Amino acid sequence: MQRRAFLHDLIAASAALLTAPASLARSIRHKPGKRFLRPPGALSEDEFVARCIRCGQCGEACPNRCIKFFGTENGLSSYNTPYITPREQACILCMKCGDVCPTGAIQKIVREAEDILDNVKMGKARVDEGLCLSYQGKSCGVCYRACPLQDVAITIGWMEQPHVQDACVGCGLCERSCIQIPQAIRVIPDYS
Amino acid sequence: MTRHLNKLRWLSLSLVITMLILLPYLSVYQSYTAAHAYDLLSQSEKRLYDVMEFLTGPFTDDPAEDLDVIKGTIWSGTFFGLQLSDPLAVAGQIAAGVVIYWPFLVTALIPVALTVVFGRFFCGWICPATFLYELNTNLGAWLYKAGFHVGTRHFDRRLKYLILFIGLVLSAMTGSVMVSAIYPPAVIGREAYYAIALGGFGTGAVFFILTMLFDLLVARRGFCRYLCPGGALYSLLGRYRLLRIKREVKDCNDCVKCNAICEFELDPMRDDFGQECNNCTACIAICPTDALTFTLNYRDLPYQGHGQLGHKFRGDNNVHIETKQAA
Repeated sequence: MQRRAFLHDLIAASAALLTAPASLARSIRHKPGKRFLRPPGALSEDEFVARCIRCGQCGEACPNRCIKFFGTENGLSSYNTPYITPREQACILCMKCGDVCPTGAIQKIVREAEDILDNVKMGKARVDEGLCLSYQGKSCGVCYRACPLQDVAITIGWMEQPHVQDACVGCGLCERSCIQIPQAIRVIPDYS
Repeated sequence: MTRHLNKLRWLSLSLVITMLILLPYLSVYQSYTAAHAYDLLSQSEKRLYDVMEFLTGPFTDDPAEDLDVIKGTIWSGTFFGLQLSDPLAVAGQIAAGVVIYWPFLVTALIPVALTVVFGRFFCGWICPATFLYELNTNLGAWLYKAGFHVGTRHFDRRLKYLILFIGLVLSAMTGSVMVSAIYPPAVIGREAYYAIALGGFGTGAVFFILTMLFDLLVARRGFCRYLCPGGALYSLLGRYRLLRIKREVKDCNDCVKCNAICEFELDPMRDDFGQECNNCTACIAICPTDALTFTLNYRDLPYQGHGQLGHKFRGDNNVHIETKQAA
């Protein structure tokens, strides 16, 4: 009986020893770093980091060269994983990165409007009405014209004021094209 | 004949590293052609475009499609429609996600099958880091000749199995494929792409330079011998490889050149190749009496004793005197 109790303690202790560093490592991962997007069709953040083998083929396939790779700045667990900064270069939704991804970290999605609307969720754009020119009485509408999913993801109102809809996939072309500095529309990433 | 295989191996290594440097340029060229905006390119970009057009022109008139046949790196890539991945990538992913993703596992089957037959051949014949590490060994030899006796330390070769284990455990704990950060072929593929297509080396380059310095100043070819997690996995997979190097004891004169040339500090002169031999054929190429040949066997021969050609050279046998008189 004593031996069984000892074994029980031993197993509990080793389990604790194994999970303590794991929780530590997980706490290191979620740091409020810079705002970035994962490539279109990426799995949720945790799954993506576990699935991605850092081969860099998504970046190589990207004809728009918008996919860049993390160094150590976003925590060690996302070292060398792909990301997109939409203000610098936004995603054109060509879906080539999903085609070449060998691990399924970026899902294969057909380049059709319905498939993209159903499956891509990089984030959702948000308009800062204090910065947006159209809301200041100077009609602009550049973000609406840059959107690849016009009238579905973004609609336009009086004085060309943009209204982002729930269908927005978060490609970031509106943020890229915004003529205000700093940009009046920006993509809020969705990592789920 | 087999002694010329070492040259073939160097050709293979050179081709691999040339491809690794060429592929990022091809990728950049493809993005230029996709944009249809030659006039908007800067002077240096135009030069790159012209050179790549000159190089690929004879083979393709549709770069956007045709140049996709070879993509990726040694870590994971597409080779004429065939997706291939490093077994360590699969092991790391399984450890990180604690699930098996079958479509990706399948891409490692061909490398694993080849390793079961040819052993750790990847390390000697394909790995782009090997190319640089072996040049580094030559640099070390020059340093030695110049009087700098560096890189002579020895460690336990079993250390790399521990590194593999720790790497996989760390991957599981952080839920992230950590092994890719400490595996030179993966690092080189990425860094070549970063430097050429993204405009600058990443932190991986620092890691690789540190391994080069370790090899040069601490232990000759130390990273592959003692630390590489991928080498450890390939060694385990190739433990019962079918193609082995064998010593022909009749032809051996115990000159120890094979032991000295062996990058992995194995002991060919005492028939001890073990699971870590990568069939690189450097020992075959240097053997002055052609005593080393290939054989098909799933294990090494036990020690066969002294080389039987040796007595003649050492002068402790009448044969030596007789041949001298005959001459």
